[in-house]
Amino acid sequence: MVALVFLIDAIIEQLSLVFTSLIIDICIAFPLAILSVFYKRFSYLVLTITNMAQAIPSFALVAIIVPLAGIGFLPGIVAIVLGSILPIIKNMYIGLTKTNPALIDSGRGMGLTDLQLVRYIRLPLAYPAIFAGLKFSAIIANGIAVLTAIIGSGGLGRIIFEGLASFNVNKTLSGAIPAILIALSLDLIFSIAEKKLKSKSVY
Amino acid sequence: MKFDHVTKIYKETKAVDDVSFDICKGELFVLLGSSGSGKTTTLRLINRLIDPDEGTIYLNGNDTKDMNPVELRRRMGYVIQQIGLFPHMTVKENIGIIPKLERWKEEDISKRTNELLNLVALPPDYFRSRYPHQLSGGQQQRVGLARALAMDPPLLLMDEPFGALDPLLRMQLQNEFLSIKRKLEKTIVFVTHDIEEAFTLADRIGVMHNGKILQIGTPSELLFNPVNEIVSKIIGSENKFKAIKFLQAKDVMIPMDKKYLLQENMTCQEAVNIMISNKIELSIVKESNGDIKQVILSDLLKNEDMRRSINDFGRKLVIVPPDENLSSIITLLKSSNEKLAIVMNQNEIQGLVMIDSVLINLV
Repeated sequence: MVALVFLIDAIIEQLSLVFTSLIIDICIAFPLAILSVFYKRFSYLVLTITNMAQAIPSFALVAIIVPLAGIGFLPGIVAIVLGSILPIIKNMYIGLTKTNPALIDSGRGMGLTDLQLVRYIRLPLAYPAIFAGLKFSAIIANGIAVLTAIIGSGGLGRIIFEGLASFNVNKTLSGAIPAILIALSLDLIFSIAEKKLKSKSVY
Repeated sequence: MKFDHVTKIYKETKAVDDVSFDICKGELFVLLGSSGSGKTTTLRLINRLIDPDEGTIYLNGNDTKDMNPVELRRRMGYVIQQIGLFPHMTVKENIGIIPKLERWKEEDISKRTNELLNLVALPPDYFRSRYPHQLSGGQQQRVGLARALAMDPPLLLMDEPFGALDPLLRMQLQNEFLSIKRKLEKTIVFVTHDIEEAFTLADRIGVMHNGKILQIGTPSELLFNPVNEIVSKIIGSENKFKAIKFLQAKDVMIPMDKKYLLQENMTCQEAVNIMISNKIELSIVKESNGDIKQVILSDLLKNEDMRRSINDFGRKLVIVPPDENLSSIITLLKSSNEKLAIVMNQNEIQGLVMIDSVLINLV
């Protein structure tokens, strides 16, 4: 029984790591993506930096956080955010900028301001792309959240590492299987949401 | 509206080169030219989607540079070939987006949407809540037109609006558009590369080539008096024959000179005297019953009793209204075996159409 409570605690920790990071991802990505729509140079800068963060191996990313931010839940979040923000920013940016030019032309021609074009045309049409990015980020975040256990963020990773260290296969699996299930259900939930948004109007 | 020496440069080529012209209130002005002639650029200069490098564009006497571009655009309808309906919005939301941003009341937007959908022959109950992808190309373009008219703008800018439609549908929409235009009395600037479309719709046409306006004139002016080789090439002498579809009686008639008119019931002697002193061989007599007759000098001279009324010698002529098109005049004359038609506006003789000379001009 103690083990089960322990497991549920770890799952809750894992989910809060993932979703806190996702919320922070969105809060950072949204303004950056919108600014990128208006300033070409800025978009280049943002995409280059996030691409670089993405390129760093996740485990190395987690490791370099320690000298910079120490250990614990928050440094864990920092590592997850850095590792998982790229798909959101990239998809938001692509979704917002790849709007059919005829729509932008007719919208501007009828008297929409640049911000109104984002609010009424670019953003709603980018929802499917944004959700696809969100899904991808969520899965990556879940993956890194397993690793951040090693710097004391908690979560399912702790059970896995403890299991591995003590050669306890059952313990290892009781951490690994829920982590896999979380990844699969994140994929499922976001896929359904993405499909719902698309079917509202086929375009 | 007035263009005053307007130039727009793209990478050292002049897309619009020192263009000056006026557009009168209420007219449909067509910019005609091949792709790359600068016609679309010229149109986009009007609503400031592009700003000129040199020159000034005036609207009702005010420099458009001093106006807020967003407010300016909301006072102009804008229709493009790709239509640009927003795919995630219903027909009603598409039409109502600017009114909504202008904080119209919801019921006013609904009312306006219904009015406009009726105007473009789309029953509102059936189409209001559809999405653009559920409409045919022609229906989409009608919604595009309705959306452009939402704010009841005095000026309408149209960039090849019917260009993407198949020929039959295009013709139908052109006709519908003409009848809508008559109802609305708006100033319209219309860009096209299609000569037939230009001639069907235009009050005046500006022919563009390499960023310059070569000639501005009515369809028949361009057809019969092109200023240079390029204009006649663009208008196309081989196309002249197609002109019988849109040239109207008033475009091809010879204005009536008073000296050809004789009083009815004149005696032959009087008529002969007048005709000889005016050096004419043929006269027109308008009878009180509304008939128009032609009297030929030699007929009168051959007759022996010079006291008879000229009415007896007249031959009845075909009468057409000034907006009758040339092809129906030809049909009419052919069926009555005549060569001359009188153009009458209500009760006034305006001129005559000599079909032989008209046809010679067309080939």
